[in-house]
Amino acid sequence: MRVYEVFVKKDGRNEFRHVGALEAATDELALVLAREAYLRRAEGDRLWVVRRDHVVAAAGDFVDPNADKPHRHHDGAAVAARRMAARQSPG
Amino acid sequence: MSEPHGVREYLLAFADDEHLMGQQHTEWIGVAPFLEEDLAVSSIGQDELGHAALLYELVLDLEGVEATDPALDVLAFGRPSDDYRCCHLVEYTTHDWAEALVRHWIYDTFEAMRWQLVAGSSLPKLASVARKALQEEAFHRRHADALLDKLLDAPEARERILEALGAVYPLVEGLCEPVEGEAGAMSTGVAAASTADLLEPLHQAIEARFDSSDSIGSRTASLQNRRTKRSADFDPLLRRMREVLDYDPGAVW
Repeated sequence: MRVYEVFVKKDGRNEFRHVGALEAATDELALVLAREAYLRRAEGDRLWVVRRDHVVAAAGDFVDPNADKPHRHHDGAAVAARRMAARQSPG
Repeated sequence: MSEPHGVREYLLAFADDEHLMGQQHTEWIGVAPFLEEDLAVSSIGQDELGHAALLYELVLDLEGVEATDPALDVLAFGRPSDDYRCCHLVEYTTHDWAEALVRHWIYDTFEAMRWQLVAGSSLPKLASVARKALQEEAFHRRHADALLDKLLDAPEARERILEALGAVYPLVEGLCEPVEGEAGAMSTGVAAASTADLLEPLHQAIEARFDSSDSIGSRTASLQNRRTKRSADFDPLLRRMREVLDYDPGAVW
């Protein structure tokens, strides 16, 4: 048996969402069983199953948030604060 | 048998098969081999019970009785054993998952053929139920095929599946055996052809699927009116089906 991650998309929405996982012996069984486990109440109209061992995953410390780099946030708040400070400073 | 009575008996046979098959599938809730299968098989059982309810409604329509829940319950659960018209395949108490899976595949293969016979029925409601049911049957078959593809490929599993086929196969003829009233259903255009015509294509489908003549054995192809007689497994099954109802027969749900 292999573990499959299950993704479902709703009509009119762009993204597939991860809804859970299941164990199955073949790709076909994974599709058949996912349909019953995750779509029997019309939760979506498109279905992906992906073998978990086919997922390319990064190590945890590789994706630690870059919390100390506010200049990468493009919300403009930091720049706006500096401009305000510059305007108010004498001279 | 008059034509309306024939149509009634024809629909009852269909409905009773669906009802008992649905019940048998739902008895795997909590005890199927793994969780995902547990959900799938009981969900398929629910589909079959849905078909049964719609067919029982058609029977009540013919009788001019309003299809209320109590009226449906009386028809589905309250008849004397002799008035049921199910086949012995759906009454059969399976001994393991292999038998249940083989029966699931055989029954759903037959069922899809049977719905085809009424897809152009002179009863518009029956034709419309057939269209919905045929979509569901395509999935039921895909479920059973996906499991069998895997299991028939592994030597030990294949052996167990073929043993199960040997146990279940003698009941296939009874599945295709028509009720007496079927003649009335055919002459009024309710059904396009006889259930008996499905035996040969079903037999061929079974041979192609399991690729084993050893488990199948010989066929007698003689009509024995099995649908008017109940097998030994029927009464215990009906008792299980009525268990909750019998606690308080007058309860309002």
